[in-house]
Amino acid sequence: MSQPFRRSSGGHIDRTQPITVSFNGKTLHGYRGDTIASMLIASGSHLAGRSFKYHRPRGILSHGSDEPNALLSVDWRPEKGEGRRDPNNRASVVEARSGLKTATQNHWPSLETDIGAVNDLLSPVFVAGFYYKTFMWPRKFWDKVYEPFIRKAAGLGDAPEVPDADRYANRHAHADILVVGAGPAGLSAALAASEDGSKRVILADEGFKLGGALLNDVTSEIDGKPAAVWVEEMVAQLDARENVIVLPRTTVFGYYNHNHIAMVERVADHRDNAPDGLARERLWQVRASKVIIAAGSHERPLVFENNDRPGIMLAESARAFINRYAVLPGKSLVVATCGASAYRTALDAKAAGMDVKIVDIRLGEDCGPELAEARSAGIDVLTGHTVVKALGTKRVTGVVVAPLGNDGSVGTRRTLTCDCVAMSGGWTPSVHLFSQSRGKLAFDASLDAFLPGQSAQEEVSAGACHGIYDLSEIIADGYKAGGSDTSVSATATFTGFQPVRVLPTDADPKKVKAFIDFQNDVTAKDIKLAVREGFESIEHVKRYTTTGMATDQGKTSNMNALGLVAGLLDRPLPAIGTTTFRPPYTPVTFGALVGPSREDRFEPVRTTAIDPWAVANGAEFEPVGQWRRAHYFPKAGEDMHAAVARECKAVRTSVGIFDASTLGKIEVVGPDAAEFMNRIYTNAWAKLKVGGCRYGLMLGENGFVMDDGVVARLAEDRFHVTTTTGGAPRVFQHMEDYLQTEWPDLDVFITSITEQWAAIAVQGPNARKVVEPFVSDIDMSEGAFPHMAVREGFICGVPTRLFRVSFTGETGFEVNVPVDYAEAVWKTLYEEGRKYDITPYGTETMHVLRCEMGFIIVGQETDGTATPDDVGLSGLVSKKKPDFVGMRSLARPDMLLPDRKQLVGILAKDPNEVLEEGAQVVEDPSLPVPVPMIGHVTSSYFSSNCGRSIAMAMIKGGRARIDQTVWVTTPKGFTEATISTSVFHTVQGEKVDA
Amino acid sequence: MSEISVKAVHAFDGLITPVGETRPAGVVVSERTELALAAVLARKRRAGDLAALVANEFGCHLPAPARRTEGRDISVVSTGPGAWLACREAGGYGFAENLAETMQGVASVTDQSDAFAVLRLTGPRVRNVLAKGIHLDLDANVFLPGHAAVTQCGHVGVSLWRLDDLAGGDAAFEIAMFRSYAESFWHWLSVSAAVYGLAVAAGG
Repeated sequence: MSQPFRRSSGGHIDRTQPITVSFNGKTLHGYRGDTIASMLIASGSHLAGRSFKYHRPRGILSHGSDEPNALLSVDWRPEKGEGRRDPNNRASVVEARSGLKTATQNHWPSLETDIGAVNDLLSPVFVAGFYYKTFMWPRKFWDKVYEPFIRKAAGLGDAPEVPDADRYANRHAHADILVVGAGPAGLSAALAASEDGSKRVILADEGFKLGGALLNDVTSEIDGKPAAVWVEEMVAQLDARENVIVLPRTTVFGYYNHNHIAMVERVADHRDNAPDGLARERLWQVRASKVIIAAGSHERPLVFENNDRPGIMLAESARAFINRYAVLPGKSLVVATCGASAYRTALDAKAAGMDVKIVDIRLGEDCGPELAEARSAGIDVLTGHTVVKALGTKRVTGVVVAPLGNDGSVGTRRTLTCDCVAMSGGWTPSVHLFSQSRGKLAFDASLDAFLPGQSAQEEVSAGACHGIYDLSEIIADGYKAGGSDTSVSATATFTGFQPVRVLPTDADPKKVKAFIDFQNDVTAKDIKLAVREGFESIEHVKRYTTTGMATDQGKTSNMNALGLVAGLLDRPLPAIGTTTFRPPYTPVTFGALVGPSREDRFEPVRTTAIDPWAVANGAEFEPVGQWRRAHYFPKAGEDMHAAVARECKAVRTSVGIFDASTLGKIEVVGPDAAEFMNRIYTNAWAKLKVGGCRYGLMLGENGFVMDDGVVARLAEDRFHVTTTTGGAPRVFQHMEDYLQTEWPDLDVFITSITEQWAAIAVQGPNARKVVEPFVSDIDMSEGAFPHMAVREGFICGVPTRLFRVSFTGETGFEVNVPVDYAEAVWKTLYEEGRKYDITPYGTETMHVLRCEMGFIIVGQETDGTATPDDVGLSGLVSKKKPDFVGMRSLARPDMLLPDRKQLVGILAKDPNEVLEEGAQVVEDPSLPVPVPMIGHVTSSYFSSNCGRSIAMAMIKGGRARIDQTVWVTTPKGFTEATISTSVFHTVQGEKVDA
Repeated sequence: MSEISVKAVHAFDGLITPVGETRPAGVVVSERTELALAAVLARKRRAGDLAALVANEFGCHLPAPARRTEGRDISVVSTGPGAWLACREAGGYGFAENLAETMQGVASVTDQSDAFAVLRLTGPRVRNVLAKGIHLDLDANVFLPGHAAVTQCGHVGVSLWRLDDLAGGDAAFEIAMFRSYAESFWHWLSVSAAVYGLAVAAGG
């Protein structure tokens, strides 16, 4: 029989749908409704992983998302190829489906035989803080020995090595009420909140079946109905309401400001035949007017020697496996507890035919009605007993127990043989989401728990996460949170526990491994060591010992750790406080967070109207900010070098055409426009005539060059400003900032017109001949339309703002046309230009041509620390204006130091050598290291027009070093170069002085 | 002024195409290629005059923040404090020019006709699609006809407004984005609407 521990009836599984799952290459059998954990237990095994540090065999601790041990690598669709595997899936919540390929983690060569288990024997080495103690000396071991070792050992599971092949969806949603958790409290809250139909309600639960703890409950009745029936009726009512969205398989993982809730819905992983293209997961971002947190609680383990042996699990989890999944965790069960709730597990196990004993640390008189009920069911109960240790290695074979004396002494040991243990150290309300919402926790000593205290947002907790454990009270609390005073009668719940941090033992505590945090292999003695070494803050203890870290974030372990630290420091528990709860509540795939924004869709791409033409004409592209720009236009067989050399020659000898549409364009309008320009730019604008253009330089408040560009005056009160491509949003914000905050008196308005006007640059000796035939209403003669002028008229009948400007040194026009007509005008000019062998060119040629002329590019020559004088533009700084942005900063003493870096040319001795941009420049490379650096190369190209390489550099005191020999770093060493002026090319014929 | 002798290419030309099952389609899209647009910025202390002027000239209120109004041959969308986008069907490049003259001294007007690409989105599933990109509450009872917003959709900045429902009861939205984002926006829309089916209606 493949499922020897499967019960013959009962449970929320569908016996008509048998399934098989691959587990470490073996086949597990089960049914729809199972998890991998329940299938494993059905097979008779608990072994589900190896521990992180000591590689101890580990079993299944829990039945929920707080599982620390049973972490699986799951390939969700092995039949579809690579890219669908992810690590660290909790076996206890993976919804089983035929075809899943699962594997345990953290062992080699196999789960059963793991070489790493030697760490368990070496454990004195791996004490708290061993990273800091062990890997200190010798220094030379740091990167060659220690780092590879630590990297290999660190981290849980193996990260996928191929791109995620799945698709992930996302959506936003709004709710009047979001209910987190569909247990008894959540169902009641959602029903109450949606009752009158006026509110939009979303109910989300991380499980694949709604009902929460009631799914584990076969004895309780609510208003005379079995709990399971009550759940079904509640869900059916909610499903029928149009104002309710019910989301199973949806984990609320983040609670952010303004009731912004993030949750992830598992859409496809559980489906047998997921259609191609179906998203695997969906990220929901919900804005809720009110959040009702009904997240339940986590059971605490008991801390005793070898409490991590497979077969030892939480008591409520044992109940879940027996009742919900209809599997027996073994044949012979010891329930070890310090509280009442575990008695229900014992009773249900007994009813399921298991041999059951209870070991309770409480004295008989401290117990409630559960004691009598257990005894009357024929269960042996040892009250006032401690568990000294568990026996067995890969499976628990028994527990050693002993009576506790009145003085706390440990009496005579005896051994109880068993093959499974259900332990309960009490309950911890799940306050994660409440804490994420920034609400303040309050300690309740009677419950030994932190409960939601003062709210920071519009939310309320209900049920067990609110510290309420009795079923009828839980349901009433849910109804109340949903706005109703409905009450029900329900079977009384066994509640109450006597907190215990570490079970009393007569063993030498230094030789005992009693685990607090299973996932991080943190034992009670690690915590003690940390406190002994002086760590008192719980945040420090956490980081030093790693308790509470990793994928489970200490859901089961935190209260035991806090209580132990409090005890050691002899302080009340609330004085210790908690560590910070941070999102995500459980691990979230990167795919869900990223959604469709991946690869070439990582961010939006902006394209110009001429982009389709560039694509059709074989352009290579480069990203500039979000823009996709044509980099160069290679002809067949050309590499970039050849294409750029050809394009550069063409512009200087005939004519080139260039898409300048991405340049930022801002219209500055209003009666005070000229005054505004005066204040924003360093140079003067009042005297610029309508129809004239001027190069403008803009500084930040710190006096450093921020942006530049040509500005045209279209009317007395209207300027057409251009900015760099990448700087456009920054400049717009800068202007808007000053208008709104510094100069609200100015009657000026700015509008981005970047997207309204496409800009086609036609440059070269034949530029005029190409443009002129299509222009109307503009006098194109040299006298009427000089360099640095703008005219409004028509081209091909389309309105144009025609600029006579040049960034190449050649005669040039920038034809601005409304974007809808840009491609057509471009094509018209291109056809006309064929007479002159017109050459389309890209950004690389644009860069080379401007460098030949010594024109700077802001952000390339400048790096945010260059003044106008540094880049040779002090002539653009008005001496007459009373003020402009950055003026005061220019007067600071260190802005005037003679050894500031200044823009110069730099020519490699070998004219064919192209220096590296960013390369360091030194005077004498033979000086001892560190060799003093005098500057760096900012732009460097091979110039076909100059017949050699050219470069610009920022050099300390550079203008006084013209003709000086310097050395420039290369990948191989240094190369010799000479400082020069930064103008490399003289244009024949028409004079331009852009 | 001479006749335009070349052909316009609109933002979604070559992009806009049906996706998925379109009989019936969950979403119907069309590009508003003939909508002339102008940014209108009230001059200092002239907002009242501007409102009066708009009421007189066009017979509509200057919309309050996050609202849109319709007047004679014009609609006006609030895009920010003291800022509006004026729209006229088939207004051409003369629209902004004429508006600037009309509003001389009370508002600054800048032509934006080609700067924004505008789509009209309708159909029974239009809200499901928009929920994938827009974080605002577009519920029928929350975001009413005449409401407008400046927001983001799939990482692209957009202006959005709701029109009157269609005769069949489907909601209708118009969404404007900077034209250079059209390709990226279309990718978002086509992927997001594929599951519901995306049909293309005649533009205009």
